[in-house]
Amino acid sequence: MLWRALLSRLGISLVTLWVVSVLIFIGTNLLPGDVAQIILGQMATPESTAALRAKLGLDKPPYLQYVVWLQNVAMGDLGISKAGLGAGLGTPIVEILEPRIFNTLRLTGLVTVIVIPISLFLGLIAAMHPGTRLDRAVTFSTLSLISVPDFLVATMLVLIFAVFLGWFPAIVYLRGDETGWVLIKTLAMPILTLVIVASSQIIRMTRATVLNVMSSPYIEMAILKGVPRKRIILRHALFNAVGPIVNVIALNLAWLVGGVVVVEQIFSYPGLAKLMVEGVLMRDLPLVQACAMIFCVTYIVLIFIADMATILSNPRLRHPK
Amino acid sequence: MKEVKTFQQMYRDGHVSRREFLAAMGALGVTAATAGSLLTSASALAGTPTRGGSVIFASNLHGPDDTLDPLLGTSTIDYTRSNASRNGLIQIWDDMSLNAELAEEWSVNSNATEYTFKIRKGVTFHDGSELTAEDVVWSMERHLGEDSPSSIKSFFTNVTEWKAVDKYTVKLSLSSPDADMPYKLTQPQAKIVKANATDWLTAGSGPYLVDSFQAGVKSTHSRNPNYWRDTGQWLDGIEITAITDMNARLNALLAGSVDMITSISPKQIQKIEESGNNVLSVPAGLYGGICCLKNTAPGENDDLVQGLRYIQDRERIVRKFLKGHGTLGNDHPINVSYGADHCHELPQIPYDPEKAKYHLNKSGYSEAELFVAPVTGIIEDVCLLMQANLKKIGFNLKLKKVPSDGYWGAVWMKEPLNVVSWNMRPTANSMMGIQFGPNGNWNDTFWNSDRMGELLKDSLAETDAAKRHEMHCEMQKLVSTQSGIIIPYHTNVLDAHNPKVQGFSNVPLGQFGGNQWMEHIWKNA
Repeated sequence: MLWRALLSRLGISLVTLWVVSVLIFIGTNLLPGDVAQIILGQMATPESTAALRAKLGLDKPPYLQYVVWLQNVAMGDLGISKAGLGAGLGTPIVEILEPRIFNTLRLTGLVTVIVIPISLFLGLIAAMHPGTRLDRAVTFSTLSLISVPDFLVATMLVLIFAVFLGWFPAIVYLRGDETGWVLIKTLAMPILTLVIVASSQIIRMTRATVLNVMSSPYIEMAILKGVPRKRIILRHALFNAVGPIVNVIALNLAWLVGGVVVVEQIFSYPGLAKLMVEGVLMRDLPLVQACAMIFCVTYIVLIFIADMATILSNPRLRHPK
Repeated sequence: MKEVKTFQQMYRDGHVSRREFLAAMGALGVTAATAGSLLTSASALAGTPTRGGSVIFASNLHGPDDTLDPLLGTSTIDYTRSNASRNGLIQIWDDMSLNAELAEEWSVNSNATEYTFKIRKGVTFHDGSELTAEDVVWSMERHLGEDSPSSIKSFFTNVTEWKAVDKYTVKLSLSSPDADMPYKLTQPQAKIVKANATDWLTAGSGPYLVDSFQAGVKSTHSRNPNYWRDTGQWLDGIEITAITDMNARLNALLAGSVDMITSISPKQIQKIEESGNNVLSVPAGLYGGICCLKNTAPGENDDLVQGLRYIQDRERIVRKFLKGHGTLGNDHPINVSYGADHCHELPQIPYDPEKAKYHLNKSGYSEAELFVAPVTGIIEDVCLLMQANLKKIGFNLKLKKVPSDGYWGAVWMKEPLNVVSWNMRPTANSMMGIQFGPNGNWNDTFWNSDRMGELLKDSLAETDAAKRHEMHCEMQKLVSTQSGIIIPYHTNVLDAHNPKVQGFSNVPLGQFGGNQWMEHIWKNA
């Protein structure tokens, strides 16, 4: 049963990837100008643009370009970045991606490690004492933070911690050999921003889910039996809430992958999202496609985990009629 | 000290020229080297260079197309890296004069068609090999031909041959006279690299070695211990990066995370000065403007263009939008920073709504559409002001906002009315030629004047200073009355830096003194 679900999931994922690649291709082609025009910039002439286009293989009709790209990707070749290719400086995209993926994974990984325990703890605390001052404080602050866009959170944090207090650097400037405390300090600002934005959602959802379970009949039964509240939540309610909570966490991590676009830009962090923005500005189609594919795969995997968690934690879904 | 400040203000306002300023400083007993840096910063008086330390420089743009090949350079960060690690044949210094660099000396024949360069002996590239005439010829030949990827190949279309006469002599032959050629050789793209270079990291002879380079991330540089000249090289190391977000760039400077940031907005100046950091403001020829295509409606109508010229509130633009860090535009690109070629006799066109109304009525148009993208600092504000002032006299200007990426290919030179920005070129002739040469590739208002073509050609061969000035005056008058360009203002080159970093020059051809600060600045502990 589970295997069939897995297989159908995998099929849907591949289709999603394909659809996304088509959409990205169409989207990038709709933007004004192409990579040849952007490279030559203000100093382009019709002749030099045509020559560079031919060199970059942009003179073929768009659908053919797409087919060529798709073939190469199917063979495991992400292609060569168009930026600089005209001058014979074509860098394989895989080489460009490697350090960027590492940087983005490092950032989101650290954020995840911090976000999950903090938000579960705060969410549970709030759910254990609904209506109290503590609960209201948590609800109020998370609601406020959810309403503030992440670029504003980032800018405010920079103003407070970097400009006024001078505790952390305003941008992430990696020398490449940072470890331990130095690394944490260098990454502190983007981590803090992402933790604040991501944890608010998870806290709220954890609280809501647990409270939802708390109102079900079997909990009422437990209360009537005289089971202490702490035991009810940690032993009976939490396990039934795990599915939805894992779901929320996975969805938020998937969101995080998108959220790093803004944060990487603001902190000048050399990650995958910043690379993608630069790729779009250059109309460097293969590079944009590669980044988009990676983001899409991450998203699909996380959603898949979320779905699996829901199915596994719920016997009714595990054995559908 | 008070006199210095007065002169600085006069220089900034364009009342005295660069040359006059330097002369005045000499009269006050200031040494020539210090006077140069005084053009922009009062703190230079107190500064004594100290050795050691390193700086982090943050430019405004970078990406996967960053390059160490000087030929392909298109942005400040490329030029900066080029200047840090390479040398050119000739360089421009503080008073816009030409100075020997890798060419120890050069000579030109009487009609400016043949140049001979004597190459400096004993210069070594970073890989240890010696620089010879072969390297110069190889580097310069790369700019020739239709297929050349050079971003300045248009400067060298009149070159017939670069030839190594002997190991240390290079001869340049031209098909038409070009007295401006030495200036063109000062461009950052025209740096000399090792012949048949394969490793761009060690291909230069410049003051700083390239230790590492990652496109779109950063590069690191350390002092070249075998540099061929003594220019200080005070810094132990330089790191070059970019922060694309304007506010993030400012915050990085305020927080002390970087030492120098380029391309600040006039709106940020007050904040930077309050924070104790220094602003470097150098009057320059770069400008933002409006192109009215002369080969199509409505720009083909001279009255419409004239009306749009009179409606520009130039004083207010420079005072309010540029906070004084700019000069008034007179609808031609050659402002006071071009020195002797600037035509000060030409009267300044005023803000005159009555005349604007007269010309616009005569044109028969009552509305038009202008394509606007944030291609340069305040251009959007300028267009909004123009729209508001036009509304007062009953003309409806619609602003069509478009993004700046892809603008040069999709909008510029295509839509009848569009905005444009041009960087300063090393000479008035090259600036005028590139933008207004008849049927030129970048004649962005499609204004073709035979007289302009003649003047461009003749002034290049003219060696008499007075006659040359007269010719430039006529060109500036032609452009400002007949072409389709409207230039309300010229922006100063604006940068900001930590006050500990000192010794900047003020060449107006790029950020932080023409992008050539590396070997001259120092950082106080």
